Amino acid sequence: MLIPFSMKNCFQLLCNLKVPAAGFKNIVKSGLILQSISNDVYHNLAVEDWIHDHMNLEGKPVLFLWRNSPSVVIGRHQNPWQECNLNLMREEGVKLARRRSGGGTVYHDIGNINLTFFTTKKKYDRMENLKLVVRALKAVQPHLDVQATERFDLLLDGQFKISGTASKIGRNAAYHHCTLLCSTDGTFLSSLLKSPYQGIRSNATASTPALVRNLMEKDPTLTCEVVINAVATEYAASHQIDNHIHLINPTDETVFPGINSKARELQTWEWIYGKTPKFSVDTSFTVLHEQSHLEIKVFIDVKNGRIEVCNIEAPDHWLPLEICDQLNSSFIGSKFCPIETTVLTSILHRTYPGDDELHSKWNILCEKIKGIM
Amino acid sequence: MTLQEVRSLRAEVGSLCAISAPSAPCSLRPWGLRAGAFWVLRTGPALLSVRKFTEKHEWVTTENGIGTVGISNFAQEALGDVVYCSLPEVGTKLNKQKEFGALESVKAASELYSPLSGEVTEISKALAENPGLVNKSCYEDGFSRGRSGGLVFPSLSEFFTVYCDPHSQRLWHSQ
Repeated sequence: MLIPFSMKNCFQLLCNLKVPAAGFKNIVKSGLILQSISNDVYHNLAVEDWIHDHMNLEGKPVLFLWRNSPSVVIGRHQNPWQECNLNLMREEGVKLARRRSGGGTVYHDIGNINLTFFTTKKKYDRMENLKLVVRALKAVQPHLDVQATERFDLLLDGQFKISGTASKIGRNAAYHHCTLLCSTDGTFLSSLLKSPYQGIRSNATASTPALVRNLMEKDPTLTCEVVINAVATEYAASHQIDNHIHLINPTDETVFPGINSKARELQTWEWIYGKTPKFSVDTSFTVLHEQSHLEIKVFIDVKNGRIEVCNIEAPDHWLPLEICDQLNSSFIGSKFCPIETTVLTSILHRTYPGDDELHSKWNILCEKIKGIM
Repeated sequence: MTLQEVRSLRAEVGSLCAISAPSAPCSLRPWGLRAGAFWVLRTGPALLSVRKFTEKHEWVTTENGIGTVGISNFAQEALGDVVYCSLPEVGTKLNKQKEFGALESVKAASELYSPLSGEVTEISKALAENPGLVNKSCYEDGFSRGRSGGLVFPSLSEFFTVYCDPHSQRLWHSQ
């Protein structure tokens, strides 16, 4: 049963550190179920941060349900260049987000449900949460073959992954979140989560690719709405609370003071790309010159998303060494980013005005380099 | 047993970062980092008070104002295989009880809290390249050194001593 959240209720529920216990007993017994009205991945991730930082979860665990418009979400210590096709994402308008929990890369769209289980650190138990989800699904479809694995995945028919898990453990609180594929675009998912970038050397945590399937492909009654209600019902039963899903607006500062600044931080280049663990790119590409193919070697070291070392090696007869050196040094300190590279190219042009042949070569090189960013 | 003994450690120990006290006008005396690392052992209660533990399973040792920080054997066992270690940069100023990094294990990112205030002067390259050292060697590799400041950390008295912690006692005797 969906109940729109009144402001007054929100404050009492969400600022429970300040309100006397008596004020809660009427509303929150020993748990809370929230669902976001937003499909913005950054705002929804900000809700997780906010609950983790501000809510007292002792005896009052929270279940948060959310869905996003097309987005790729990478884990805290991952490398987006290694994990997904950034060029395709830019073309298709798919957002990239880095979450604060660990784990691998996932694709979200409106056919995927995200579930976040907030508890105190002591009550953190991923397997228990997954068993709850399995019970919920079986309540809708008793013959469904769904099982949790040791890796905390959920497998359908013993082979298809329908859910992946990640979590974050803080000082006193922890959260475990997982996906649940109901009706996601599987073809799009596969193409987005395949990185075309070669030669990346990094110790970032890597994803474990898996064969996925949607619940709706197995059983058309398992729509997102049905599954959300089933999970909420099972959560309510397990925690002995009322089966009420409280809708929340993740941009409402009166309910979640400070949340918009959390959402903004999650959208910054420094967080999304800058938090990538140090990595190096060792690759090459060819350029056409007078009917022959010249090999250009590229060695780039990237730290905090910025180029620390840049060695682009081109044959001297095509691009004089000192010009090449100039190109290399101009990259140092700039973001490993195609937009920034475009800006750099135009700055370089101005250092050698009128030299059209050189400009054309620089343009060719920079287009190729942008292709690896 | 001798009062002071330097041994290279092979069992399950690894430290995470060393923190210096706020600076005092003392000459720098960085603790030499050798392959395999080492610590100073003493017998009796004096020995056991060298390593102090917080209730959140971070530990710290100090010498000449240089602190070395890590996580306990209990913590690394609870975490499981560590796959990534996110440590602060050299020069970062840390505040006691504030988050300074994270460990990732089995898809869970666990925050690390600094037991001391000070400035990071060295971090273990070994740990950055091989985060599994947190499991294999939680008291040795993977630390950063602090600058000698000649100050006694006022908060040391708040920590549990090694003597009180049954896990570290067991560890001590296993050497």
